[in-house]
Amino acid sequence: MSIISVTFVQKDGSERLLAGIPATGTLMEAGRSVGVDGILADCGGACDCGTCHVYVPPEWTKRVGPPNDIETDTLDLMVQNFEPGRSRLSCQIRLSSELDGLRVTVATT
Amino acid sequence: MIQNNSTEASADGIDLSTASLADPEILAHPNAFYAAMRKDDAVHYDKNLDMYLISRYEDLQTVLRDPITFSVKKGFAEQYAKGFLKEYKEILERDGGGFFVNAIMTDPPEHTRVRRLLDSAFTAHRVKTLQPEITNIAVDLVEKLLAKGEGEVFSEFAMPMTSRIICKQLGVDLPSATVQRWALALTQQISRMQSREDMLRAAKDVCDLQNFLLAEIKDRQNSPPREDMISDLVHARLDDADQPTLGLDELVTLGVALLVAGNETTATALTTMFYIFATRPDIAATLRASLDDDRVVTRFVEELLRFDPPVRGITRMTTKDVEVGGVALPKGAHLLLLYASANDDDSEFDSPREFDMNRPNIGRHVSFGAGIHRCVGAALARMELKVAVREVLSRMDNIQLAIPNDEITYLPTVATHTIARLPLTFTRRG
Repeated sequence: MSIISVTFVQKDGSERLLAGIPATGTLMEAGRSVGVDGILADCGGACDCGTCHVYVPPEWTKRVGPPNDIETDTLDLMVQNFEPGRSRLSCQIRLSSELDGLRVTVATT
Repeated sequence: MIQNNSTEASADGIDLSTASLADPEILAHPNAFYAAMRKDDAVHYDKNLDMYLISRYEDLQTVLRDPITFSVKKGFAEQYAKGFLKEYKEILERDGGGFFVNAIMTDPPEHTRVRRLLDSAFTAHRVKTLQPEITNIAVDLVEKLLAKGEGEVFSEFAMPMTSRIICKQLGVDLPSATVQRWALALTQQISRMQSREDMLRAAKDVCDLQNFLLAEIKDRQNSPPREDMISDLVHARLDDADQPTLGLDELVTLGVALLVAGNETTATALTTMFYIFATRPDIAATLRASLDDDRVVTRFVEELLRFDPPVRGITRMTTKDVEVGGVALPKGAHLLLLYASANDDDSEFDSPREFDMNRPNIGRHVSFGAGIHRCVGAALARMELKVAVREVLSRMDNIQLAIPNDEITYLPTVATHTIARLPLTFTRRG
């Protein structure tokens, strides 16, 4: 299993770098395990509650990919400040070696 | 009551120094009482219940997001079979296989291991695969009602629908009436409104329920894994080196919770759905025109949940001296979080008594709770409601109350806000 780094940018501009983490599970699980602010994940990753909302910057959208149908419905219904094209639920982003160096901004919950 | 009035006006005429949520009239139609609290006494001590009622959206969020300061475990224990616990416990130990320690109404870290396991069972993606099966059940029940042209929808539609779905998931075969009786017996233990006679009747039902589940669990412990949730629980391996499998307390109380929580709450919402269709033909017409538009149906369901949440509230107990909403609470204070009141708070929702499917923040209601105890079956509940909306409105027309609006009664309980009987008439849609 490869080892990667990902960064969560908090709403105050501060950064949480998760360096040298295994590329397994989801971005939400990685963020929740170290208590990143705003990654609440109330539903535990069921794609149902919208409390792990992040914005993916343009340079990463292709590699991260678009939300699936159910995720789009949940974003539309549950989150504040849904931005099509940028918004993703981090519980639906599976970590992989492709995502080494990923930076996302945590949305306001 | 579901009506299209304003919140401000409804605060009139409530004297908080004497009014209590234990009053059956207030339990049935609580919105004016809630509004009075939000305005004048947001963290209100209810003498009759010996509880602090938390009424504002912001204060509910504060409490829901801090499971260490506000303990579910202690709040639940304080509430459970209140006044009769000793006798209730003795009956269950004698006739019901034991008094099992609840595995859900707990605090971290013990809550976490069980919660992680259940999260994976109810993902929105897994629930989506159940849609055809749920649709078949809804169609069958709607057609049975249509054949008669009238019916009491809580017992003839809502409970059969939810109980058939959860029984199928659990891999058990039970008549809907039995599930309904057991569910009510369980919910009664957190109702705060039961007499000793009520408790004795309920305890017998809970014994039957436990004995049934114990047999189902034993059956699966002695056989290879099957495709059902009880089997999944029995054979589950947890991410916990010290306790890699679920203990008997956990198996029984999870089984009970799935059977009950997956039933009465959603059945309550389904009944309220019918009530809205019968009393707000404008909303039914809007929906009928958009049944193929998933977004519209989804938003109706969400607004239904906000407008009249099935769960009235869940309890917490403070584990230290703490301030909530500017009120100093002592350690050991028993709180009731009023979901319907938070959903009616105009600091969060504009014109909250308007049924508005286009709210920008429609999903921010607290009807499923929030934080680590947020309803694990939320996606399933939404799916059941969406399917019901489609099948009912595409097949039924002229849905009307068969009794006067003011004769509709609600179950006497602080746990849910449930229409006890909803007789309706309807015709087949041409």
